[in-house]
Amino acid sequence: MDLRHNEIEGNSEPTQSLGQTSHLALDIGGSLIKVVYFSISRDNCIDREQESSANDTLGFSNGNCKHPILQGRLHFAKFETSKINDCLEFISSKKLHLGGFQHHENPGKNKNFIKATGGGAYKFTELFKENLGIDLDKEDEMDCLVAGANFLLKAVHHEAYTYIDGQKEFVQIDQNDLYPYLLVNIGSGVSMIKVDGDGKFERVSGTNVGGGTFWGLGRLLTKCKSFDELLELSHQGNNRVIDMLVGDIYGGMDYSKIGLLSTTIASSFGKAVSDNKELEDYKPEDVARSLLRMISNNIGQISYLNALRFGLKRIFFGGFFIRGQPYTMDTISVAVHFWSKGEAKAMFLQHEGFLGALGAYVSYAKHSIDDLVCNQSMQLPVSASYTADPNYNPLNGDFNDNESIQCSVYAA
Amino acid sequence: MAGLKEDPFLETNDIIETREGAEIKDAVIDKLGEEGSQGDREMAPPAGNSIHRSGSRPQLDLSKAAIQGNSEDRDPTILLPNQSDDISHLALDIGGSLIKLVYFSRHEDRPINDRRKKTVKERLGVSNGNRRSYPILGGRLHFVKFETRKINECLDFISSKQLHLGGIDSHGWLSETPANCNAVIKATGGGAYKFAELFKERLGVSLDKEDEMDCLVAGANFLLKAIRHEAFTHMEGHKEFVQIDQNDLFPYLLVNIGSGVSMIKVDSDGKFERVSGTNVGGGTYWGLGRLLTKCKSFDELLELSQRGDNRTIDMLVGDIYGGMDYSKIGLSASTIASSFGKAISEKKELEDYRPEDISLSLLRMISYNIGQISYLNALRFGLKRIFFGGFFIRGHAYTMDTISFAVHFWSKGEAQAMFLRHEGFLGALGAFMSYEKHGLDDLMVHQLVERFPMGAPYTGGKIHGPPLGDLNEKISWMEKFVLKGTEITAPVPMAPSGTTGLGGFEVPSSKGGTLRSDASALNVGVLHLVPTLEVFPLLADPKMYEPNTIDLSDHNELEYWFTVLSEHLPDLVDKAVASEGGTDDAKRRGDAFARAFSAHLARLMEEPAAYGKLGLANLLELREECLREFHFVDAYRSIKQRENEASLAVLPDLLMELDSMTEETRLLTLVEGVLAANIFDWGSRACVDLYHKGTIIEIYRMSRNKMQRPWRVDDFDVFKERMLGNPCPHKRALLFVDNSGADIVLGMLPLARELLRRGTEVVLVANSLPALNDVTAMELPDIVAEAAKHCDILRRAAEAGGLLVDAMINTLDGSKENSSSVPLMVVENGCGSPCIDLRQVSSELAAAAKDADLIILEGMGRALHTNFNARFKCDALKLAMVKNQRLAEKLIKGKIYDCVCRYEPAS
Repeated sequence: MDLRHNEIEGNSEPTQSLGQTSHLALDIGGSLIKVVYFSISRDNCIDREQESSANDTLGFSNGNCKHPILQGRLHFAKFETSKINDCLEFISSKKLHLGGFQHHENPGKNKNFIKATGGGAYKFTELFKENLGIDLDKEDEMDCLVAGANFLLKAVHHEAYTYIDGQKEFVQIDQNDLYPYLLVNIGSGVSMIKVDGDGKFERVSGTNVGGGTFWGLGRLLTKCKSFDELLELSHQGNNRVIDMLVGDIYGGMDYSKIGLLSTTIASSFGKAVSDNKELEDYKPEDVARSLLRMISNNIGQISYLNALRFGLKRIFFGGFFIRGQPYTMDTISVAVHFWSKGEAKAMFLQHEGFLGALGAYVSYAKHSIDDLVCNQSMQLPVSASYTADPNYNPLNGDFNDNESIQCSVYAA
Repeated sequence: MAGLKEDPFLETNDIIETREGAEIKDAVIDKLGEEGSQGDREMAPPAGNSIHRSGSRPQLDLSKAAIQGNSEDRDPTILLPNQSDDISHLALDIGGSLIKLVYFSRHEDRPINDRRKKTVKERLGVSNGNRRSYPILGGRLHFVKFETRKINECLDFISSKQLHLGGIDSHGWLSETPANCNAVIKATGGGAYKFAELFKERLGVSLDKEDEMDCLVAGANFLLKAIRHEAFTHMEGHKEFVQIDQNDLFPYLLVNIGSGVSMIKVDSDGKFERVSGTNVGGGTYWGLGRLLTKCKSFDELLELSQRGDNRTIDMLVGDIYGGMDYSKIGLSASTIASSFGKAISEKKELEDYRPEDISLSLLRMISYNIGQISYLNALRFGLKRIFFGGFFIRGHAYTMDTISFAVHFWSKGEAQAMFLRHEGFLGALGAFMSYEKHGLDDLMVHQLVERFPMGAPYTGGKIHGPPLGDLNEKISWMEKFVLKGTEITAPVPMAPSGTTGLGGFEVPSSKGGTLRSDASALNVGVLHLVPTLEVFPLLADPKMYEPNTIDLSDHNELEYWFTVLSEHLPDLVDKAVASEGGTDDAKRRGDAFARAFSAHLARLMEEPAAYGKLGLANLLELREECLREFHFVDAYRSIKQRENEASLAVLPDLLMELDSMTEETRLLTLVEGVLAANIFDWGSRACVDLYHKGTIIEIYRMSRNKMQRPWRVDDFDVFKERMLGNPCPHKRALLFVDNSGADIVLGMLPLARELLRRGTEVVLVANSLPALNDVTAMELPDIVAEAAKHCDILRRAAEAGGLLVDAMINTLDGSKENSSSVPLMVVENGCGSPCIDLRQVSSELAAAAKDADLIILEGMGRALHTNFNARFKCDALKLAMVKNQRLAEKLIKGKIYDCVCRYEPAS
């Protein structure tokens, strides 16, 4: 693929052609590497009429788009950062770093580069260079997160949903009433970003108690070998064994005066203080559950307080910590519900782990295509069909090809 | 809270101390039992007790009786340790790990025999005001802790002090309550339920349970309103006390960090709401910490964190961004991106991490989180102030720093975390406040004096201190204490963790590489409630008033005074021992005093803010208090007497000399005389050296001859203009006098005489209790009477002021017909220190000030160390000779023996 490096830098003449559409972007976080790549469909090009009619049917006013379309699938994959070599092999085997397309126009002219974000984009620059001979073009993490979220919330029909008492309910977001919102990205740590519009956002808060804490503490406490194993464990646990509940303090009575139920957690891990038990005496399941509740609850609370502070109606939670984990989502929802007295709802994103990578992916367009055109051309997938990979196994340490979105890419 | 059953006081080096402490306590309880059997004995004055014990005390002079009378009849600003707790009241906060006691003891007033005082009261119209529905009783509020698992010690303590009977005591307090056998004690905390039966069985009292949250808030409100240096900030290891304006206290956020965390918005007394909280609190720290480190106690875990490095386990921003700051969003490389985040990517097991690092990482995670959530809630409700309390903090420097950092970070510097010195006692204090008619609601900050006696009463914890009131035990305990280590360490809070303690000691810490976990611990003293103290009414701006001129938070300054006081100590001990007849008992007490005071100094060097904001005045007063604690009522008694006599002998000559001068010359000579006579000061090292070189009169004359104007600060001409150029004399002058001997007799008395001659009433303001060689209000009438023998002006004025009523004087001419003189009076200032804090003066001084239009402050202590920058509503003259090179340089850019004559007309 040829992105005409020099021109991109200058961000001047959009000279993209179909075949030059970039197709790999990375988000290299502290614990996970997220990969988004585009694979082209067999029939590369769809003619304009077809597209226009699709647009019309769906009510998109994309009328004056007179450009060829590339149709294909956006794929999502994850690797543990500690196993970065797997990721390199994966890229190498799929030749993703070469642009994937066989018809490079100027193979020798420019060095290949891949859009990347996340702290690891800095840390592993040399490694990518050595192993794959490519440069990582660093995109700002926060920019990517927001761009990814904006993209998903606007373009993918069933992207946002609430999760209450085990019920997943999709929320239709009115594109014109999307902003402002609070985006809570739960990675190793947690960033809370107030998003006011495309490219208009501010990191207003965050917390150091995030996914890394869950996994890190969880590993130390349970000897689990992977994040997902730990999550799985938490499913089976009972946090009451180890958390001090309001009822434990007030002898089973509700402390109703201050509105606390006897089942409210008064102090996470508080029972470990008084029991004469060692770590080995607790079931790893219970420990994992308690930990999950502690962290989810905390993130939910801090998020709500920040939303309140800026008067934001919607809070979207994303990041790899959530992973569509019902229990995690449930506790976050409960926390938001509890602290907001039912006035706010936590919402989640289907592609929660890939915001950054998606944003990095989108940034190719930003740099190469005139903004206006870009906005329109990137409104995809019009006929968005979300397909989760049925083979996705949460216990599998390596995440390959686990999700994809069928989509169309427009080029100016 | 209920969850913390694990005893936090288990440390290996406890055992010996605990045992010794127990012995001491047993002995004391026996002793108390004996005392108790004496029933309603009319207690001998405390000083008398000690004197009795010493056996060989010389036949005592009049002044001694006077001093005793004084200390008996005045309100007990400074109570001597041997008195009984005539009336007491008790409240408890029984938590999962600690029992906190707050009790009040009151010394019953004795009939006032002091005519001087009576006269002063009549003349000045001092009333002990019945403005309040329930008068505040003078007395002391004590703070004591026990470990919950040693609840029997607590019961013994209550029983031995008869604290549980306080509630039905028929003396005064609560006398309206019909005496019944159902004594009730207010209690809060989970244990109030759990141990109700035990209290019933052992003490026959019922526990009246008060709501925990109510108590917390009531306690915090009381402390924040009543104690001047209660709240402080703690940033990067630096502690700073914050003065809270009583009228601008509400609303605030109170964050109580127990097992969990409660965040309470407090809007006014009794009006509050729990607005938030978090389940990640002290229990989480301790619970997770136990599981991860195998620590046996909370304090052990906290101690571990001192040596930890959280970078080995936390994922920092720098770890993610390859060491670069992610400056775009304002995160530095060292910011924690993810607590415990490193534990995921490394192939390490739990055993591969140092427990120290885990503890620190955990501590940072939790403190930081609490700080953040607290700030967000404060923001939400528009609260300016956030106070943090609860057992999790324990005066632990790093915890406070982390919370402060979080609040600072998230508020971008706009909000500050504040902490409370009495944080552990909020609940108990609140329970105490819940008694009706305690009268404490109306208590004002100026009516409280906090003292830090060595042997504050407590048991439990690491070290058992001697219960209050037994000097012998206290001394022997001091001796034992010192034997334990090679050096004296400071009295630190009783709990090893540095929980707010009670002026007790911790074992001398081995000076190993470890940071003391209590590096930031604060002592909690005994609160003396002195309803008669008032703010000096002539202060121009009481809110802005700061007594201390020198800020001892400057470490160099502190070090200097530390050295000065340490060097002066042996001489002081000699004098003190001599003043008590040089007996073996006196020597023992002298040694104990020296150790105790050295320990205080060492403690303050290590933690200058340990006793609240530290000024030189506090330091000097601490020394006097410490002397009194070991029953040295007046170390300079005989010196003062000797010097007074010597000075009085030459007074007639001086007065004749003065009378022969013109008005103008005389005024100058008088001021010169005050400055010259101020050289006699046992508080000044330089002057003590001088004493060995000549007699008082020689020094005085030499000194006066050297008084060449212009002085370093010289407003004499303005003062002269006011005195001689204005036909209208001042109505009343308050003369704050300094030393005995030449200073008062040859310096201030002649000046007073001149004012009297000009028709100005003169009130001599002197110390209530002895401090160094300062003259006291008790001694002044005798001195004036003696001087009056040689001077008509003084005699008539003293008579008019009621000073000579029962003095045996042989008037020179017996002509008493001329009694139209303006009066010369003496009032006490309410303190026993070489300095004076004008926020807390005696009611008689406050009354005397009402008609005063001239203040003369004399001497280094009152005019330079304190009040040099004070502004008054009336004319003020500050006179002093600077007998300290460093102070001279600092204050007036001068040198030793320079003089200050600062005159400031009414502002």
